Amino acid sequence: MQAVLALEQISKSFPGVRALDRVDFDVRAGEVHALLGENGAGKSTLIKIVSGLYQPNAGTMRFEGETVRFANPHDAQRRGIATIFQELLLFPELSVAENIFMGHAPRTRFGAIDWNAMRARTRALLASLDIHDLDPSRLVGSLSVGNRQRVEIAKALSQDARILIMDEPTAALAEADVLRLFGIVRLLRERGVGIIYISHRLEEVFVLADRVTVLRDGAYVATRDVAEVSADDLVNMMVGRRIENLFPKLDAEIGRPLLEVRGLSQSPVFHDVDLVLRAGEVVGLAGLVGSGRSELAQAIFGIRPPDRGEVLLDGRTVQIASPGQAKRLGIAYVPEDRGSQGLIRPMTLRENISLAVLRQVAPAWFIDRPAETALAERSIAQFRIRASSVEQVAEKLSGGNQQKVVLGKWLATKPRVLLMDEPTRGIDIGAKSEIHRLMGELAQQGLAILMISSELPEIMAMSDRILVMREGTIVASFARGEATQESIATAMMSASEGANRVAAAG
Amino acid sequence: MAIAARREGAQDGLLGGLRRIFGSQEMVLLLSIVALLVVVGAINPRYLAERNLQSMFLGNAYIAVAAIGMSMVIISGNIDISVGSLIGVLATLSGTLAVSGYPIIVCWLAPLVVGALVTGLMGFLVAYLRIPSIVVTLGMLSILKGGLISVTAGAWITDLPQGYALAQMRPLSIPMPVWFMVVLTAAAALWMRYSAFGRAIYAVGGNAEAARLSGISRRRTIMTVFVIHGVFVGIASVLFATQLSVIQSTVPPNLELTIITASVVGGVSILGGTGTVIGSTLAAILLAAIGSSLIFVNISPYWLRAVQGVLILATVLADLMRRRRQARS
Amino acid sequence: MATPSRAAPAGRVPYLIGHEIVLAAILLISLLVLSTQTDRFLTTGNLLNQGRLMAEVGLVALPMTFIIITAGIDLSVGSIMGLCAILLGYSWQNFGLPLELAIVLALVTGALAGAVNGWFITRIGVPPLIMTLATLALYRGLAEGISQARSVRGYPEWFFVLGQGEVLGVPTQLWIFLACAVVAAIVLGMSTFGRATYATGANIVAARFSGIPVDRTVLLIYTASGLIAGLAAIIFVSRVSTTRSDMGTGLELDVITAVVLGGTSIFGGRGTIIGTLLGLILMQALKNGLALAGVKGDGTIVVIGLILIATIIISNLVRRDTDG
Repeated sequence: MQAVLALEQISKSFPGVRALDRVDFDVRAGEVHALLGENGAGKSTLIKIVSGLYQPNAGTMRFEGETVRFANPHDAQRRGIATIFQELLLFPELSVAENIFMGHAPRTRFGAIDWNAMRARTRALLASLDIHDLDPSRLVGSLSVGNRQRVEIAKALSQDARILIMDEPTAALAEADVLRLFGIVRLLRERGVGIIYISHRLEEVFVLADRVTVLRDGAYVATRDVAEVSADDLVNMMVGRRIENLFPKLDAEIGRPLLEVRGLSQSPVFHDVDLVLRAGEVVGLAGLVGSGRSELAQAIFGIRPPDRGEVLLDGRTVQIASPGQAKRLGIAYVPEDRGSQGLIRPMTLRENISLAVLRQVAPAWFIDRPAETALAERSIAQFRIRASSVEQVAEKLSGGNQQKVVLGKWLATKPRVLLMDEPTRGIDIGAKSEIHRLMGELAQQGLAILMISSELPEIMAMSDRILVMREGTIVASFARGEATQESIATAMMSASEGANRVAAAG
Repeated sequence: MAIAARREGAQDGLLGGLRRIFGSQEMVLLLSIVALLVVVGAINPRYLAERNLQSMFLGNAYIAVAAIGMSMVIISGNIDISVGSLIGVLATLSGTLAVSGYPIIVCWLAPLVVGALVTGLMGFLVAYLRIPSIVVTLGMLSILKGGLISVTAGAWITDLPQGYALAQMRPLSIPMPVWFMVVLTAAAALWMRYSAFGRAIYAVGGNAEAARLSGISRRRTIMTVFVIHGVFVGIASVLFATQLSVIQSTVPPNLELTIITASVVGGVSILGGTGTVIGSTLAAILLAAIGSSLIFVNISPYWLRAVQGVLILATVLADLMRRRRQARS
Repeated sequence: MATPSRAAPAGRVPYLIGHEIVLAAILLISLLVLSTQTDRFLTTGNLLNQGRLMAEVGLVALPMTFIIITAGIDLSVGSIMGLCAILLGYSWQNFGLPLELAIVLALVTGALAGAVNGWFITRIGVPPLIMTLATLALYRGLAEGISQARSVRGYPEWFFVLGQGEVLGVPTQLWIFLACAVVAAIVLGMSTFGRATYATGANIVAARFSGIPVDRTVLLIYTASGLIAGLAAIIFVSRVSTTRSDMGTGLELDVITAVVLGGTSIFGGRGTIIGTLLGLILMQALKNGLALAGVKGDGTIVVIGLILIATIIISNLVRRDTDG
């Protein structure tokens, strides 16, 4: 059967990283084609290319047989490719009908909006999706998440989409809404729409999808019929790789607990988290994007205090209400997004490194430039930061060097507990191993380190203990040597209760 | 991460419809106006005398008209603090043309054209050069203010020709400014609600990224909003100019603030994307009513500006609380 | 130009030093032109007098520089000035406070008014534009309400030293202004508070994540803005010998223009006190020169408005180029 959409040897690079490397992918009419892969595997880049947000550097895209090139999302939409992103793009102050027909409302002869026609067509559209309980005149702002998503789907279909892309559609839905979504997906499939379905929930793939394609590290792994493959096979395809020659972990003596977390909850991102970090220990925290790991670290660090639960430092309960307080207690947090959270890009290396220890370089409230410069120079030497001078603007540094600056900034605070959020994401292999070496040295010096990472090889190589977080809570714990990439990935992705409820719906 | 489905309060049906109307800013304003009239009228019945009510409406209708355009600008996510000076300039322009013998219709239409050109220029700087509207309009404010005083040298324009005083006409015994206020508000409200461009203004102000992905051009929308705003300012300036038989060389102090207050108190959020022109007109009426009521209850009218400030603050706080509640659910 | 008032990073030097050098050049040229147009311009007496006139706007422009660097704005400074002026006059004349105490009261009021702005902006999250627009109305309203548009006159002689007197041949307020300018420059360029200010404006999230007390910093800056507006009010009253409720009307325009002209970006993260000073001097020179050349006061505000818009356009275009 001929594919509606076919991507051949698509490649896409960004400065410093190759996001997609000669990927083949096709979608047929009336099929649900699941797209699987770890964080950073390239799924999101692929669908952004299909929906016209990005343009590929190489390869061809064919739509209904013709070669196409979408210059912008509007192009793709007009051809019949609709996307439902995770962040819903609706206007809360407008009604359901207005949102659905935004930009292409039916007009009267005089050019004004044909209000009646719009409402009628909205009702018809919703009915065709078996949605009979949504009033076209209601303001979207008053709708539940489930309903808003249905509006988004209807909006996608209002332009006669031939291909519908759904990016993690069930991530924010309650159970009842998930079931309704599946019903809609099946309806669309019967109508001949080709659906690209991205989800981390393996059980959903087995219930809904006809075929599944796996990407890994930007490369195409395989496409299989869902009927002919098992969950283990899929996990293997997603993560199976040789563990690279990362710097071997140095042995460190593991001491007493420095940081302890009990029953920590912050609705709705995480709940009932228990955690212990010991001196000299590296604890790896694995999990999918959206599992609540960053929020957990940020809650401990005082950026957004938790709703419930306790944090103990050296056995004493503490209330950490601000990052400044966390800093004073000896906790440091190296953020996930170094560009917008970790660095001040227009400032120089010197200014960035001293940012968390201004009091240190400013004894009498005035910044001692020589001391500040000395600090920066020490950091450059210690972390082997490649920069032309301490006066270089942070923006101009490479990703790896930027990360080292952020690390240097936080290590200048002489922390005892170090929370690192994706410390080696997006940096080259050389800088990566340097950072790993550093982590090992810090552990030897007695720091307690929590390493949040989406790279399973890194987690396995560096951690003394591995915790897995899924949908807001810790679901698995492995000691060093106990875990395999498959077992970690499985813990990250499948939910046994979830499998039951989805199976019941199927 | 499962989010519990929000309770969807009955928004459909008669009860829901009523609930929605009563909870709206527009209703609050309407009720406030009625309450004010009742209370102040009870304290001092002369407040409700026809002459007083009339002068209250007449003298302030042009503010409501100007607030229509201003509301559109604010809904799109911008602001214009030069509008007071612009009204002064356009009024003087109109009057000058009138005493120079130009046809009356030209004197009435010229301010609309010139107003649109001036605001269009500002809109261009905001939309295409991406300069924050506060800065552009701050600069324009002084250019217009200084220009006006330099040109008029403080002189008033007298000897206006017959048939020029638009604001003093009374078709069907209703003063012309009131006609303008009601008709323009209704027309603008319908247009904002039901036309594609009206939708676009809300979209650009509410969620610029989503608007872009829906194919709406932010630049063209903002530029056009400013031009339309200029037309409304032009109309307001003609009404202002023709109120009396002379045209003063100055406008009421802080006129722009009063107009912005009308929009903000009318429910137009400074954060963009919400509010209606009906709200701003009702708010303009309310402000006029408050302003004139002070003297009837023996409160010095010099407290009016303080009242304006408190009203703006209260409305903004209420809006912030509402948004926060919405975001949390 | 090794200015202690600004960190001079290698990457940033071309733009910022460029702006200030250009500004200084324009200033020099303007001074030359003006001095040739009229021989009344370049006299010591005139220059000192201009310094006197410049002091009020100059003072308020100092904390405004901080505010705009944090990507905020304060439109209420003129109204705060009016309110403080009224309280000065009324507490002295009508409530019988000794003048010294009235002066203190005015300063405290200014600080309080600024703190209210800062509190709502940091704790409640009201955008600075709308907050200070509301207080522009509220504070002016309080001034008008309290004074009922009546003015206060008859201050004692010693009070006028502040606004009309001289110390060592230089107007008193000019000394005050220069002292404050030096303090501001040192704080902004060399202290932890200054660094926190730049960080907040350049990337408020990263600043917060780095443990910088962003809210406290912003609150202090707005409070300072109010306090200085109060000081400026006292000087103003002392200079013109009366108190009126419309004092300070339009102050925000002059102040913001001077700051923006001086190279401070309206988007935050960039700016220096030296730049603001240059902008102030240029503005004052233009006002003076135009006045001496016979242009009326209103003509000069047209010029100022044009300069504001032109500066922003140029700076935007340049910024686009350097940011790439």
